[in-house]
Amino acid sequence: MSIIENHQTDGEPFCDSPKLKARGVGVFYGDKQAIFDVSLDIGANEVIALIGPSGCGKSTFLRCLNRMNDTIDICRITGEILLDDEDIYAPKIDVVPLRARVGMVFQKPNPFPKTIFDNVAYGPRIHGLVNHRHELEEIVEQSLRRAGLWSEVKDRLDAPGTGLSGGQQQRLCIARTIAVDPEVILMDEPCSALDPIATARIEELIDELRDNYTIAIVTHSMQQAARVSQRTAYFHLGQLIEVNPTDLVFTKPQHALTEAYITGRFG
Amino acid sequence: MANKGIPVEMNFSQHISGQFNSDLEAIRSQMMEMGGLVERQVANAIEAITTGDTTPADDIIRREDDVDRMEVAIDQECTQILVRRQPAASDLRMVLAVSRVVRDLERIGDEATKIAVHALEVSGSTNGGYCQQSIRYMGTEVGKMISGALNAFARNDVDGALDVVRNDKLVDQQYSAALRELITYMMEDPRSISQAINILWILRAIERIGDHARNISEQVIYVVSGADVRHSSISEMEERAHKDKDDSSSTGA
Amino acid sequence: MTDQLTTTRSKVEQGMARRRRAEGRFRLYGVLSVGFGLLCLVVLFGNILSQGSSAFRQTVLQAEILLDQEYLGLNNQSPVNELRNGNYEGLIKQYLRNTAEVSSRSERRALYGLVSVGAHWQLQDAVLANPDLLGSTLSIELIMDDNVDQWFKHERDEGGAGRLNELQLGWLEQWVAEGRLKSRFSTTFFTNGDSREPELAGVHGAIMGTLLTLMVTFLLSFPIGVAAAIYLEEFAPKNRITEIVEININNLAAVPSITFGLLGLAIFINIFGVSRSTPLIGGLVLTLMTLPTIIISGRAAIKSVPPSIREAAFGLGASKMQVVFHHVLPLAMPGMLTGTIIGMAQALGETAPLLMIGMIAFVVDVPGFITDPSTVLPVQIFLWSDSPEQAFTERTSGAIIVLLTFLIMMNTVAVWLRRRLERRW
Repeated sequence: MSIIENHQTDGEPFCDSPKLKARGVGVFYGDKQAIFDVSLDIGANEVIALIGPSGCGKSTFLRCLNRMNDTIDICRITGEILLDDEDIYAPKIDVVPLRARVGMVFQKPNPFPKTIFDNVAYGPRIHGLVNHRHELEEIVEQSLRRAGLWSEVKDRLDAPGTGLSGGQQQRLCIARTIAVDPEVILMDEPCSALDPIATARIEELIDELRDNYTIAIVTHSMQQAARVSQRTAYFHLGQLIEVNPTDLVFTKPQHALTEAYITGRFG
Repeated sequence: MANKGIPVEMNFSQHISGQFNSDLEAIRSQMMEMGGLVERQVANAIEAITTGDTTPADDIIRREDDVDRMEVAIDQECTQILVRRQPAASDLRMVLAVSRVVRDLERIGDEATKIAVHALEVSGSTNGGYCQQSIRYMGTEVGKMISGALNAFARNDVDGALDVVRNDKLVDQQYSAALRELITYMMEDPRSISQAINILWILRAIERIGDHARNISEQVIYVVSGADVRHSSISEMEERAHKDKDDSSSTGA
Repeated sequence: MTDQLTTTRSKVEQGMARRRRAEGRFRLYGVLSVGFGLLCLVVLFGNILSQGSSAFRQTVLQAEILLDQEYLGLNNQSPVNELRNGNYEGLIKQYLRNTAEVSSRSERRALYGLVSVGAHWQLQDAVLANPDLLGSTLSIELIMDDNVDQWFKHERDEGGAGRLNELQLGWLEQWVAEGRLKSRFSTTFFTNGDSREPELAGVHGAIMGTLLTLMVTFLLSFPIGVAAAIYLEEFAPKNRITEIVEININNLAAVPSITFGLLGLAIFINIFGVSRSTPLIGGLVLTLMTLPTIIISGRAAIKSVPPSIREAAFGLGASKMQVVFHHVLPLAMPGMLTGTIIGMAQALGETAPLLMIGMIAFVVDVPGFITDPSTVLPVQIFLWSDSPEQAFTERTSGAIIVLLTFLIMMNTVAVWLRRRLERRW
């Protein structure tokens, strides 16, 4: 399969009030380039869905946004990513506070093997956000409420987080992420391990969270992208092929590759 | 915009799911079949009117049920595809368009039946020959429109579809002229009114068939370019159809 | 189509018998090998237990001895060193002469030889513990000589004489008839250090030496091993140097243990001047030996911590240190402890390297600190197995039983600890 070279992204990769701005981002794993010259805005309080076939670089790109790729030694990033006009790859930027601002929810629900309370309290604790126990309790309750989990777990905060069902675990992970009050939440296929009802809950939650947070979600389910997002970005072999409002992408995609992917002609 | 180096080895004409391909192909060909049937119905109805021969008229009324059944069947298959495949983009537009087109076809069938019914009434009378010229002309024209729209659908031919829309304008003009002619007859001889009304209904039905053919053409434009051109003027339609078509053809070549 | 189907079916059917036979054979091999293993274990344990159980019993003579103040020249006001130097041996001999009739000098010697040469220590200990006993008659169970012990435990039932002569047998049979010669649980086996006399030899010194050595080993190897494992797995850059370190650690685990003994001798003793034959040097050498085991198992435990947990912590903005100490280490701890205890169990059974650093020395005193000369259980076993006296054979087996008990205890603790730690999460 030949690689599309120097593709100019179709559609509207830029928006009026961007929270995160990627400009000419390239990612290399050793000598192999995984992402080619991606420029994309993620607007404040919007949900942007990143879709594309496996290995297209959408997860890699997402992980660049809070420097999760730093943990991989051979990973190298070019171009710049600006969070509120500040380059997150600038030498003076420390990843620890950055990740507090740009939180992440992972594919597999991964609660810590601790109690539900400690799971949510972990972030505020390590960042020293609270001085008193009652403040911490307040944050935990508020986060669990926002994640729609409070009513289900309020009587068993001391139970292990790993004892919850898959969907509850994922909402616990979301609660844990929002407990440090991030500005952006990155979600890497958050529903791929969940049943449809749990998925629907998470999608509902994403919709509610949009009021307070900027959300970028990678998903393999095109229906999910269509349901939760306002804009959709299509990646193909490390290139950003098309970015458009979601309703447009799913009825009248601009690029033939997008069309072929979302109509199930390859992928 | 130039070709952006889409991998040529890739074949985008087929879905990964072969069943999906054949499902889509099935509704398309059934719609064409239904179109053919409706087209014949219209042709027969016009023939019945212009020749005064009532045999085709009876035939038309009998076949009306077939048309209705086909509409229901195709519509059901469209629903099935929507439910099972959740089609997107061009597939979605195709399914929606087929569903809308079969409704228009069914209406055309209804109009053909109306013509046949009135043809039976007109055939008995002595002076049933009002506006024969107009009827013949309009009849042939809408017949061509139907086949033109269906062909455009089959070939994804936006220009063919636009031709059909333009022809609808001509049919409408001819309808207005025929209407004035009928009014003249009715003013001359009030006894002819009841007969003239029958002719009026027939003219009206033919004109409606033209409108439905135009609707089908609009769906062709929707399928091909993604532009919803319903309720817009011809110039608007041409502009949007070609603009969107350029966009998608440049990338989708 | 159907024809093809039936032929396929019949082929499958034909093959089934063969496949079942193969499976049956494989199971049989499994059962046989497990059975063989179990049989060996039963034979080994049976042998050791049957030989060693008698080591826990000791033949004694019930005696009433008058602690004659005049004979000893002592009273309850005498200072301790005088009490210690009293002629208790003479008292015992006097008692023996009174209880059996002897005429000649050689007969007397034969009579005295029946009682252990260490029997007078019993009297001395009793007096030292309570000087007021002086002047009264002390009822005491005198430890008999190993020849008497062996005869009473084994040969007597078969009518044998062992290494005793007719005269001695006569006295002994008389005492048996009077109910004064009997067998009781041997506390000396657990309270005494090593001795040339089998009936006085015990494992206390070896046990203490082992405990002290293992303590040194644990205190050194656990923190160093865990720290090394964490650094190598989490922090070390991946380059040639760390690669070489890794390879060498893996190689070290396979180095014959006696080499570590040589290393200890050359470096710790000759260069650093650590005194030989002490738990300190033993622990140092065994630390060298256990470190690779702990590091390798520790790294495996760290590696087995699911990456999702790390990601979750990193994603929340935890620093590397926080990720390691809050999440990775607690999850890896059970595995690390298991590895450590396996390493310690190896160290517990190790003999070869300790021979090189002088822990084979004959040490009578029970060590109290890591710088005291001492020996360890496996070396003690090795020493005893080398001794000519027949009574040492059963002592050897007895010491092996003690060693195995230790191992089982350690493994039990390991399992319990792991369960406990794992349940917390």
